[in-house]
Amino acid sequence: MEEKLIAFIREEFLTDPSQDITPDTKLLSSGLVDSFSLVSLQAFIEKEFGKRIPAPRITVQSFDTVRQMVRVIGQF
Amino acid sequence: MAFEPSVRDRYRSILSEIESAGLLKNERIITVPQDAEITVAFPAGATPRRVINMCSNNYLGLSSHPDVLKAAHAALEQRGYGMSSVRFICGTQDIHTALEEKLAEFLGTEACILFSSCFDANGALFEALLDENDVMIADRLVHASLIDGMRLAKAQRDTYKHSDMGHLRSKLEQYRACPRKMIVTDGVFSMDGDMADLGGIVALAEEFGAMVCVDDSHATGFLGKTGRGSHEACGVMGKIDILTTTLGKALGGASGGCVAARKEIVALLRQRGRPYLFSNTLAPVIASTTLEVLRLLEGSTERRDRLEANTAFWRNGLRDAGFILPPGNTPIVPVMLYNAALAQKLSAALFDRGVYAVGFFFPVVPQGQARIRTQLSAGHTQAMLERALGAFTEAGRAAGVTGLTKEQIIAKFGT
Repeated sequence: MEEKLIAFIREEFLTDPSQDITPDTKLLSSGLVDSFSLVSLQAFIEKEFGKRIPAPRITVQSFDTVRQMVRVIGQF
Repeated sequence: MAFEPSVRDRYRSILSEIESAGLLKNERIITVPQDAEITVAFPAGATPRRVINMCSNNYLGLSSHPDVLKAAHAALEQRGYGMSSVRFICGTQDIHTALEEKLAEFLGTEACILFSSCFDANGALFEALLDENDVMIADRLVHASLIDGMRLAKAQRDTYKHSDMGHLRSKLEQYRACPRKMIVTDGVFSMDGDMADLGGIVALAEEFGAMVCVDDSHATGFLGKTGRGSHEACGVMGKIDILTTTLGKALGGASGGCVAARKEIVALLRQRGRPYLFSNTLAPVIASTTLEVLRLLEGSTERRDRLEANTAFWRNGLRDAGFILPPGNTPIVPVMLYNAALAQKLSAALFDRGVYAVGFFFPVVPQGQARIRTQLSAGHTQAMLERALGAFTEAGRAAGVTGLTKEQIIAKFGT
């Protein structure tokens, strides 16, 4: 799951796709991914993993890194 | 009293966080009518000073134009001050319907419906037109009001990379099965001043059977040969299904907005648009005066022509002075500085030199993309622009930023 999320984020959001992303890279608080674009990540998670994450669960605190995302996705 | 101390403490703590992050917005107090040159007291309590205004949306210089004021005075006498009603109870005067017809004609759409603001227009749209089977696919840099409007709708949401037609195509392919698809974009993007590729968007919309929704607030009245907007500039007049725009920028700048669209869409918004149904009608004085503004613009392109000339002069002048500007040809001209502190410092130095231009930085713009955004007006005289350019050149040299490449600025100041 981590690899798929990282690959998607790199391809979908980064202006420089060669930029390194780890499971602990801060994405939202650092500005790498803006809050509006998260709807695309939400759509990807639903399509790829069959999990619909409610918007209130997607916050800078809970969804800032890929590791955190995996944890939240696991709760659904 | 139910405002518990713990609640007060919570709000104070949020305000402190905003302030310590350097994001507290302090309003500058203007003591004269809006214009190309204004009197501003900043910080609050300081002696007011005259400054050249390089940060208003007064693109055509009509906010305080004598003909506009005259029309507004006459409208006040003829139709009163307020309507004290929503449109469908007792809030529709003849001038409201006349303005809707005139705006539809001016913008080249089948029909039009007025709102109290374009923010309201964008808030009404998606919820009324789309359901959970449908999809909205938006450019990532669209205005906050479109984002909020989309949040209110049950339809699926997705985004495409800014102005990337290949990426938009891939998203349209992904949602091919949705019964209603809507591509959502700004006509001109307010932070970068670039124009959407409406030709490319319309072509993709036709290929995939999608509707096109454009917020043209930063284009109506001046882009295109006769000032109809970005759809005219891109050669796609009549091909935009939904065009939202504001009366609060080039068209006199008071307030109000509209959705100019296919007639069934407008009819549905009159029945289902919640900000339309549940908020007050547009003030009569604005409706009537906007009619006069549109008559002025139809009578002559002189003001949009002057704005175009001012824009070319300003862009060339800043480039020659050694500043970095993103590509574009609209009157929104960002001066790229990449570093937030540098943007704030330069903005303050400009104010000291009699030029009012504001710095923008993360989270308003992406991290490392700090800039000073300047905006041109037809109200700027050549002398004003020359003075403003002199101030920019002087302040830029003093800060050691002119003549440097992006990489050199970042190496020198960081991001």
